[in-house]
Amino acid sequence: MREDNIVGVDIGGTFTDFVSYDATTGKIENWKNLTTPANPIDGVLEGLSNIESMATVNKIRLGTTIATNALLTRKGAKVAYVTTNGFKDVPFIQRGDRRSHYDITWIKTKAFVSRADCYEVAERISALGEVVLPLDELSVRKVAQAIRNDGTIEAIAVCTLFSYVNPQHEDRIAQILAEELPDIPISSSFHVLPKWKEYDRASTTIADAFLKPIVQESFARIKTCLDDLGIGDKVGVIKSNGGESSIWGAAATPVQMALSGPTGAVVATRTVAELTGIKNLVVFDMGGTSTDCATVVNGQENITTDFEIEWGIPIQVPMIDVHTIGAGGGSLAWIDKGGLLRMGPQSATSVPGPACYGRGGLEATVTDANVVLGRINPDFFLGGRMKLDASAAHRAVARIADKLNMAVDEAAMAMLQIANNNMLGALRTVLLQRGLDPRDFTLLSSGGAGPVHICDLLEISGIPQGLVPNYPGQFSAFGFIMTNARVDKQRTIQQVSTRFDALAVDEAMTHLVSSAVSELTEQGYVDNIHVQRSIEARYLGQNHGLELPVDEASIDTESAARLWQKFHEIHQARFGFSTPGETIELVTIKAVAIASCEKPHIATLALAEKSAKANSSRKVRYEGGWIDTPVYERETLLQNHVITGPAIIEESASVTILRPDQQIRVNEYGYMLVTAKSAEGK
Amino acid sequence: MDMVAMSILDSTMVSICREMGITLQKTSYSTIFNEALDFTCGLADKQGNLIAVADFCPAMIGGIPLLVESCLKEIDVVSLKEGDIILHNDPYRGGLHTPEHTFFKPIFFHGELQGWAIAIGHIAEVGGMAPGGFPGEATEIFHEGVRVPPVKIKSAGVDNNDIWKLLLANVRTPRTNYGDLRALIAAVDLGERQMRDVLEKYGVSDVQQIIGDLLDYAERRMKAEIDAIPDGIYSFEDSVESDGVTPNKTYRIAVEVHVRGDQIIIDYTGSSPQARGPINATLGVSTSAAYNAVLHMTDPSIPRNSGCFRPIKVLSPPGTIVNVDFPAPSVGGNTETHPRITGAILGAMATAVPNRVMAAEGATHCNFVFGGVDAASGEYFACYDLETVGWGGRAFADGNDAVDSINGNCRTTPVEVFETRFPWRVECLALDADSGGAGEFRGGLGYTKQMLCLNETITVSQMTDRHFTKPWGLDGGLEGGCGATLVQKNGSHKWETMCEAYGKISTSRYSNVDIHEGDRVKLITPGGGGFGSPKKRAPESVERDLRDGYISLESARSNYGYTGN
Repeated sequence: MREDNIVGVDIGGTFTDFVSYDATTGKIENWKNLTTPANPIDGVLEGLSNIESMATVNKIRLGTTIATNALLTRKGAKVAYVTTNGFKDVPFIQRGDRRSHYDITWIKTKAFVSRADCYEVAERISALGEVVLPLDELSVRKVAQAIRNDGTIEAIAVCTLFSYVNPQHEDRIAQILAEELPDIPISSSFHVLPKWKEYDRASTTIADAFLKPIVQESFARIKTCLDDLGIGDKVGVIKSNGGESSIWGAAATPVQMALSGPTGAVVATRTVAELTGIKNLVVFDMGGTSTDCATVVNGQENITTDFEIEWGIPIQVPMIDVHTIGAGGGSLAWIDKGGLLRMGPQSATSVPGPACYGRGGLEATVTDANVVLGRINPDFFLGGRMKLDASAAHRAVARIADKLNMAVDEAAMAMLQIANNNMLGALRTVLLQRGLDPRDFTLLSSGGAGPVHICDLLEISGIPQGLVPNYPGQFSAFGFIMTNARVDKQRTIQQVSTRFDALAVDEAMTHLVSSAVSELTEQGYVDNIHVQRSIEARYLGQNHGLELPVDEASIDTESAARLWQKFHEIHQARFGFSTPGETIELVTIKAVAIASCEKPHIATLALAEKSAKANSSRKVRYEGGWIDTPVYERETLLQNHVITGPAIIEESASVTILRPDQQIRVNEYGYMLVTAKSAEGK
Repeated sequence: MDMVAMSILDSTMVSICREMGITLQKTSYSTIFNEALDFTCGLADKQGNLIAVADFCPAMIGGIPLLVESCLKEIDVVSLKEGDIILHNDPYRGGLHTPEHTFFKPIFFHGELQGWAIAIGHIAEVGGMAPGGFPGEATEIFHEGVRVPPVKIKSAGVDNNDIWKLLLANVRTPRTNYGDLRALIAAVDLGERQMRDVLEKYGVSDVQQIIGDLLDYAERRMKAEIDAIPDGIYSFEDSVESDGVTPNKTYRIAVEVHVRGDQIIIDYTGSSPQARGPINATLGVSTSAAYNAVLHMTDPSIPRNSGCFRPIKVLSPPGTIVNVDFPAPSVGGNTETHPRITGAILGAMATAVPNRVMAAEGATHCNFVFGGVDAASGEYFACYDLETVGWGGRAFADGNDAVDSINGNCRTTPVEVFETRFPWRVECLALDADSGGAGEFRGGLGYTKQMLCLNETITVSQMTDRHFTKPWGLDGGLEGGCGATLVQKNGSHKWETMCEAYGKISTSRYSNVDIHEGDRVKLITPGGGGFGSPKKRAPESVERDLRDGYISLESARSNYGYTGN
């Protein structure tokens, strides 16, 4: 038997999802079991026991919430922060703004370090990288002594002013501390995030140190368990950039794991783009308590450095731009003081869950509304593995209907529409607020609840086409079997077009590329490496850069002139104006190194010879009223099947509700493409 | 009322305003815009009612209704054309102060005016007697920069070059101003375009109906909140410590809040006559300050539109520091007098709604402005730098440390950006222990920013407060620490106030001091007052504060009765 199984594992809040691909047979299988929060590896091992022979496993990729949870629950290392004299309060001062206006109850977000554990050393580098005050090494050794005497410090973060221009002092501080305190892990800002803005860099570096001991320990445990199965050296983990990393590579800079799981759906979306040739996709992955939205533009996922783990706590390593809102199937209905129906952000969570779960929940949720409206089949939830209590859903929605003086189905309809409007807000955030036009996109829905809402969202969002992929309920884990090893590097290099030092920028870029590539090769990814380079630039004085790909082999005066020309064009396209002749400032250089991994071959479906056949029907409520709606089983659908709305397409982990004015066409891979009926034949 | 349509339209319009703001943030040039986010964007209906706004700068949000109302009186609406954009900054036409530039773009749909896209932004350099605005010694509006009544900066989509030339010839940093003005135009263009899409999608009459419902809904929400406040008359007083030009004189802010049923009246009668110096608030500012206080005492999720302001009435006698008459200066009214008024209203309401107020916050933005010619590039630079203060203690929590005063929600500029842009070296940025007033719930801390001048000359001005008038405590909480601005001349070891070093009348507001290479400036910002008696503070909180250096051992002993070492 060949060793060519690839397994993707997504450890989620409720379920651990598995997708496996067998290259010999070309078969993709998926399954899930409950997550074991105390020791997530137990749930993974349980699921892996489904695989007959571990000897066939060539690669197992884990999406893990270890780092995310440690940050969200603030259960990490006791960190010491070491910085330039005069600046130890930067993590507490932050940026001075507050989360929202007019909220007198607001409490400023606490730093991930105590003020008592912050230390200063005598040194200073200028904005141009010159040494203004040489490093006083004795002051560093005194700090080491103080940390040793304290005895409680578990990790150290070092971040000095302007280290992104010249890291010599910061490097030397880290070196001395490592000498003096060999047992304490150290994170230094130049290596974690060599970009300007001291608070953002400090916050990211502190988070990295905060995570180091816990991530290293838990990865070691995972490795031991998988070693027992004989697959310890086959494991890779998924970073926030959606790429695979070796387990020790990720543990060296654990802040890169801050957002691992949600990236799977985005990588899977990119795969859909590659397979279908649909270049612009917006994915909404809807679960019980939250919904993640992200875009794939021109076949590429969007990488951001604007992430905050909590309001005011930036973690700015490059990661996939996923926007999460607290709206999902469990969002609760309530009526505010002005008499308006609202949905969420409070949620029924998994316990007690929506009223229809029959676990004691009394309040109406989005899922309850979907049951009342006939959209979710109470006898076929999770493929029939969980029976829903339709009368409990009805009672819960009736309580809201009474207060609004509406019929129960009307109230359920209003709940659904308001919930959809909340999700529309998330779509606007990832599209219009990023300057993207919904009309250029295809909406892809995943998560168990996504396909239930996709057709309504198409109607209100102005997005012309929808796509329901295969296994929408295990879409993230599917992404993990499709991903590559990937390293993203960025560095601030401040230069202006009028006094442009092309040689310095070219050198810095060359260095950045080689450091990205060597990070990959050190982890054992040596084949099929390719590199993408880009710069971020803006008009001098602006604060937000636009990204420009660097396609030419080297940066010199002539290629720079072409870049500036390109900048004016992109600025015009993005913001509706440009200022020709204006000085342009280069801010950041970026390099991405990707080692392409072997990809599963996705099988195609047989061509349909006869039209699709419904096997039952049930009444579903649409805006216009109740309609008897045919029910199709997704697994019976073949390539080129066309289903016209109204229709229900059921599958084990989800259900798609096609509106009366829409149609679905099944493509060669089994993806269902939703369009308006009027688009027929186009 | 169609609540689904209301929800959809409200969130869509707020989202449009946010998108306008993001455009501004991403395309503007001055740090006060793109780092500090001192701007706001809104939409109004054709009558001028504010129908949606994005949460950027609160001082501007409350100011929009009066601003629009005043300008609509003057704009010849009948002759407006599609693609016109109107620019305005005049404090005596509903404005807040000269740096606040407002752009209005009419939204036409099928040839008829349907509403307005509005963007207000703080332009750092506005001409006048001191670089960077905020001349602390101005004695008339003309010292405070170029006054712009509502004029068309674009006519039917084409730049009105005469206006551009006139504006840019009268400021010290035309390149930066040009970028900021373009950014504001891009913002209103986006708002107008997207609101037209909304009208196309839902139809004019439905949109008008729903907007009417939305305004009524916000009004209902606000009335329900006011109704829950015990009826009564509540009063309080605070003061502004100097007007920058008159020696030894302070100015009274008097507020009397009448709560009756679901209505609230805020009466400023008894406040001082207007000052000679630039601390006066325009009617727009004192109205905005009243709205700000009421919004802080009520549910923050009420939609911010003209409807929510309907139950709030403001009485502001003309010729006073809270409703200044032409041509007195007013640049500090919007930043300094506004939070003083808002704080006084919260102080008045402490007995009525103790869980919805706080003790005095630092209530200044520090407003340190400077300009000069950069030795390296030869280009003129100007900067409006603002700093954070401590919040007051609350009945349930300590005051937040180092936060922008409550009439703004600005971010500070990172030291690494500041030094890259301007010829200063920041030598420290450190919280000041003991600057938070002692209390069961301690006031938040202010901080110290110390800077070394690296240019031959940098001309500085400032508009701040609370160098002498301490942030008050509530319910037995003690006063917070004062701020200060100190200078150390090159070669000297002495730190001096602006009065001592340069003979200025006020330490906290002054104009055009030339700082030279090697001189140092230290900005110390005030903390917040404490809430409740310090004796009631939990001993573990005192110990934690001591360990983390938020309070000194002396303060722990004398204020909190700490007995350890």
